[in-house]
Amino acid sequence: MTDIFFKLKQLNWLLISLILFLSFVGFVMIYSATFEEENKIFISHIYKIFIGSLLMIFLSLLDIDFWKRYSYFFYFLGLILLIWASFYGYLGKGARRWISIFGINLQPSEIMKIFLILSLAKFFDEKKIQEPRDYFFLILPVLLVIIPFSLILIQPDLGTAMLVLFVSIVIFFISGINWKFFFSFGIISLIVTPYFWNGLKEYQKQRILTLFNPENDPLGSGYHIIQSQIAIGSGGTFGKGWLKGTQSHLDFLPEKHTDFIFSMLGEEFGFIGTLSVIGLICLITFITYNITGRFIHDIYCRIVGYGIITNFFFASFINMSMVIGILPIVGLPLPLVSFGGSSMITYFIGFGIILSIDRNLNSR
Amino acid sequence: MNREVNLERRIRRRSLLLGISKSFFTLLVLGKLFYLQILQKSKYGELSDHNRIKVKILYPERGTIFDLYNKPIATNRTDYQLSVFKEKKSLINSYISKLSGHISFSDKELKEIGENIKKQDLSDFITIKRNLSWNELEFFEFMKNKFPFLIITKEKVRSYENDLIYSHVLGYVGFKKDVGKNKLSNLKVGIAGIEKKLNSKLLGSDGWIKFETNSKGVVNKELNKKNAIPGRNVKTFLISEIQEKAYMEMRGIRGAVVMLDCISGGINCLVSSPTFNNNEFSDGVSVDEWNALLKNEFNPLLNRSIAGLYSPGSTYKLITALYALENKGFNPRTKFNCSGHISFGNRKFHCWKKEGHGNIDLQDAIKKSCDCYFYNLAKSIDIDGLANFSNIFSYGRQTGIDIPNELRGIMPNKEWKIKNRGEKWQRGETLNTVIGQGFMLSTPLQIAIMTARLATGKKIEPRIIYENKTFEKLNLSQSNLDFIKKSMYLVVNDNKGTAFNSRIFGKKMAGKTGTSQVRKITSAEREDRVLKNEELSYKLRDHSLFTCFAPFDKPRFALSVVAEHMGSGSKVAAPIAKNIINLALRKYI
Repeated sequence: MTDIFFKLKQLNWLLISLILFLSFVGFVMIYSATFEEENKIFISHIYKIFIGSLLMIFLSLLDIDFWKRYSYFFYFLGLILLIWASFYGYLGKGARRWISIFGINLQPSEIMKIFLILSLAKFFDEKKIQEPRDYFFLILPVLLVIIPFSLILIQPDLGTAMLVLFVSIVIFFISGINWKFFFSFGIISLIVTPYFWNGLKEYQKQRILTLFNPENDPLGSGYHIIQSQIAIGSGGTFGKGWLKGTQSHLDFLPEKHTDFIFSMLGEEFGFIGTLSVIGLICLITFITYNITGRFIHDIYCRIVGYGIITNFFFASFINMSMVIGILPIVGLPLPLVSFGGSSMITYFIGFGIILSIDRNLNSR
Repeated sequence: MNREVNLERRIRRRSLLLGISKSFFTLLVLGKLFYLQILQKSKYGELSDHNRIKVKILYPERGTIFDLYNKPIATNRTDYQLSVFKEKKSLINSYISKLSGHISFSDKELKEIGENIKKQDLSDFITIKRNLSWNELEFFEFMKNKFPFLIITKEKVRSYENDLIYSHVLGYVGFKKDVGKNKLSNLKVGIAGIEKKLNSKLLGSDGWIKFETNSKGVVNKELNKKNAIPGRNVKTFLISEIQEKAYMEMRGIRGAVVMLDCISGGINCLVSSPTFNNNEFSDGVSVDEWNALLKNEFNPLLNRSIAGLYSPGSTYKLITALYALENKGFNPRTKFNCSGHISFGNRKFHCWKKEGHGNIDLQDAIKKSCDCYFYNLAKSIDIDGLANFSNIFSYGRQTGIDIPNELRGIMPNKEWKIKNRGEKWQRGETLNTVIGQGFMLSTPLQIAIMTARLATGKKIEPRIIYENKTFEKLNLSQSNLDFIKKSMYLVVNDNKGTAFNSRIFGKKMAGKTGTSQVRKITSAEREDRVLKNEELSYKLRDHSLFTCFAPFDKPRFALSVVAEHMGSGSKVAAPIAKNIINLALRKYI
């Protein structure tokens, strides 16, 4: 018992409070997004924050060796769930993403991101790169990435698939692989891209094309971007006030409790609000960087740390870029803020692992 | 070892690179947010307001028009209208087909929608259907979830208490012609009658209302509004009961009735028959209906009381007689013999009574309406003098009544003949003129004004809109006027008078009949037998005229009746006048 208290004392409570504060922003925004219709969503969100935070604390108390030992096991577990979801999961919004276990709806692609990071880390940790020119051994990690990536892509879930690919590239990069690998990978990608594009669903193509000229079709795919920009822009410096966003509450803003929650934040809390949330995300990222940066010799911890925080950071910024019109609408939630259980719990799990790494470092 | 240090350095470098790229990403997003929220705030604020705020113009309620006893004769009714959000006008066609079966659209309405779409007014709505019935309203209430971006609004629109009776005098309302550029394209203005004359007073001024709507086209609430200011009410001299009575009397007859108050000059009734439905007109008649009215041979749109032109016939003898007394020093006791016709130049002029009136004086001549007596008078009358004198009684002049499109008729003189016929005045034409035939044309209103001026000796001017006014005396000898009035009294109350059958007991009426000839009776016909009116085709029959005032000793009402092609004045026009005057004397004196 005293052991647990000791471990709890060692946790990075600053990071924990920042993470909880970010999810509190989600709590406030989800209330605003849903209070007029039904409070079912809001109450479900409170439960998820609660369960997620408890899970995070619990995982932070585990030793990092636990993850290291079972990395591949979790990977295969995740892969099975993902195959289940991609082929036998139920359809929602034209995609096969969800499965139901004991009445709980799960999106295996979310948790798979963490498991992929763990197993890549384990791979690079074990095969210390002695000879960077020897690329042959890279076939295995590339397969580790390509399999879940393809499974997620065919669901189809463009946003998550691209994020998986991106985070994986960052991990390869951070592992110190020679530039030439990325160069040849890029060439292969260019060759494959047209085939990939033809394989995309029409609405996905539409979503990407819309980015280039949203005004073309104001009531089709571009409508969402325009309305989202109007919501954010009309918020001005201080916003229209909590629960007072007209774009959000009069339903001009689509999906306001999920993908477009940041637009609603911008509308109701203005530039001050968006700046604060960006500041919070950057602070969380910076603190995690500091933790990870201290593991020069522990490749596993380093890759896990960079991987998880890169996933968090880029998911956040891709979502924000999406709703302000820098990137196409690909359907990614804002981590810890948007409604969506699988996504939020995954980020809590991720931060649980980072907290565990941090605790291990302090206790060493 | 060296390699490991190298790798370590590379990893540090790459971590740094990753950090830098993240910072770059952060700055990009912050920059865009700064642009949207700080630099472009006003643009996006406007766009956001434009999304949710929809402006509807509130059209003012027209002022009510009252009769003399404050009974409303032109009011407003609530009209339920179906409108669509202007930005969703592309939906109109699909909505119309979806609504059909429950809410039907006539061709006229479809055409109107087409015009409404083009209008560029300030409203964010386009009206697609007016005059919704209760069934249609009920249906829409029930189904409105299936029709986003449609709203029902209430508007006050002009409604007349009676479809037909006041159409000519009140006029009607309608859209302005150049609606394209108008910012108030659904504003109706007065097109005719009092509605046109007093449009600016009756109109009021518009307001607006701002609705907050959501993306699904549902109106959430009113944000704010500026109420429309209703137009001012107008009181008239019309007496609705008299107007109705006159209308009823004229049913089936074409012609006009004008009655005015000899003291105030107020028009108590102004009826023209046949008439049209001014409620239908105000709601907008279709081109077909309009064309049918224009082609109607009896021209229901013509306001005969102020723009129908008739020979005044024998009613004009009053002016001829007064002219002779005033300007010629004519002795009224002078007798002429009437043998049924006189010869003048190489022409024969006939009296209406073939066997003649015998030896009679001026009063008898008026009473019996002898034509020969006036032919004899005419021999010494210069037409220019008579024409000038007639102007005093409004012949050949506009009376100045306060509704538009009044005609002034024709009071011929030498100059007129040369100008209009290119010929010199013939002396014989004076003989026709003195009995109100020939070139002379007048409106029923002019005849009524003549009577009012004779009855009062004052320069009475007609007014429909209520106003207190006094009139100056005419420069005429009272004894001569009394002589004419006494003669008019005898026309109605002497058993030899032409209108004896239409006499009124108690408060006495004085008047003069007139039978205005439409055709020329040929000498051949005269030799044989003058055809009776009933034997002629309708268009050739005589007009029946009567003008009168009452009570005789204290003139209050002056009235004229013209009944087209109805034969002699005593048979048709005089009884109509008697019935109307009777009602006025009984109830409104």
